Amino acid sequence: MGEERATVDPKLLEILVCPLTKEPLRYDAERQELISDKAKLAFPIRDGIPIMLPDEARPLEEGEAR
Amino acid sequence: MVAAMASARGEHDATGGADFGFRRVGEDEKPGLVRDLFDRVAGRYDLMNDLMSGGVHRLWKREMVAWLAPRPGMAVLDVAGGTGDIARRVWEAMEGEGRVIVCDASEQMVDAGRERTWNAGLIGGIEWLVGDAEALPLPPRSVDAYTIAFGIRNVTRIERALEEAARVLRPGGRFLCLEFSSRPPAGVDRLYNAYSFAVIPTLGAAVTGQRDAYAYLVESIRRFPPPERLAAMMTDAGFGGVRVRSLSAGIATLHSGWRV
Repeated sequence: MGEERATVDPKLLEILVCPLTKEPLRYDAERQELISDKAKLAFPIRDGIPIMLPDEARPLEEGEAR
Repeated sequence: MVAAMASARGEHDATGGADFGFRRVGEDEKPGLVRDLFDRVAGRYDLMNDLMSGGVHRLWKREMVAWLAPRPGMAVLDVAGGTGDIARRVWEAMEGEGRVIVCDASEQMVDAGRERTWNAGLIGGIEWLVGDAEALPLPPRSVDAYTIAFGIRNVTRIERALEEAARVLRPGGRFLCLEFSSRPPAGVDRLYNAYSFAVIPTLGAAVTGQRDAYAYLVESIRRFPPPERLAAMMTDAGFGGVRVRSLSAGIATLHSGWRV
C-alpha cells in the first residue's frame, strides 16, 4: 500500500445523504464506504472522493444493514 | 415524426428513450454513455475547450460567476463541474470563505479537476464528489447557489435535474445554468454548422483521440431544448424571476432563477 491516497473531506461526510433515500449515511472508515441502510447500498470512497452513484455501489449483504 | 423528435429533446418521453447526440438510446443507457465519454476526454477537456472556442468559454464562465456574485460564506454546489473551472472562480470570488461542492458523474473528470486545483495551490475549501444531477446526495435546502456550466444537456431527464436543484437550494437560493444554444446564431449558420460538424470532431480526434466524443458533444447541442423552453421548465420546477441572457451573438445562453 505504498501508494499515496487522499482522505475524504470530513466536512463533506457531514453533509452527504443517500442519493436514493436522501437519508443520512454511515461512514465505514476501514472499508472506505458510505452505507445507506435503507437502500441497502455501500457507496465507495475512492482516493478520498465519494462515488455516490447507485451503479457503482456495493449491495449490502444479508444482515449487514442496521 | 418531426414533432415527436422535438418533444423528445432532452425531456422525458413516454417511449423511454433519450437523445445521445443524434442517436436515440435507451433512457437507462444514456448516463453510462455520457460518463464513459467524459472519462475518456477528462485529461484534455480544458485544453479542448480553449481550442474549440478560442478561449471564449472563459469569458462566458466569467460572466456566469459575475452574475452569481458569490459572497463570502455562501455554500455553492457546482454540478457537472468536473475540471473545477467554475468552482475555482467561485471560490476566489468568495475570498476563500464558505464552501464549494463539485459534483460530476465522471470520476475521471473529478480526479482531473481536483488534481488541477491542488496543483494551483488550492487545497481544501473545494469539496469533490461523483454524483448524478438527477439524484443528488445532498439534503434539502442545503445550498445557497447551484451552478451548472455546459452540463445540463448531458443530463438524461432535465426536468428531474431541475427538481433536484430546487430541492437542494434554500428558499431564495440562486440557480444559474450556462449552456450552448441549440439554434445556430442567425446569419452565420452555415459557417457555424461547418465548424460544429466538421472542424470540432476533427480537432477532438487530433487532440484527444476521441472523434466520437466530440461528434456527440456538438450533436447534443442541437438536441437541447431552446432557451425559452428551458426557462419554462425552470418555472415548472419551482423557480421564480427566471431570466435569460444571450452570450456572444447567441452561441451560448445563461439562465438564471431563484428558488421560490
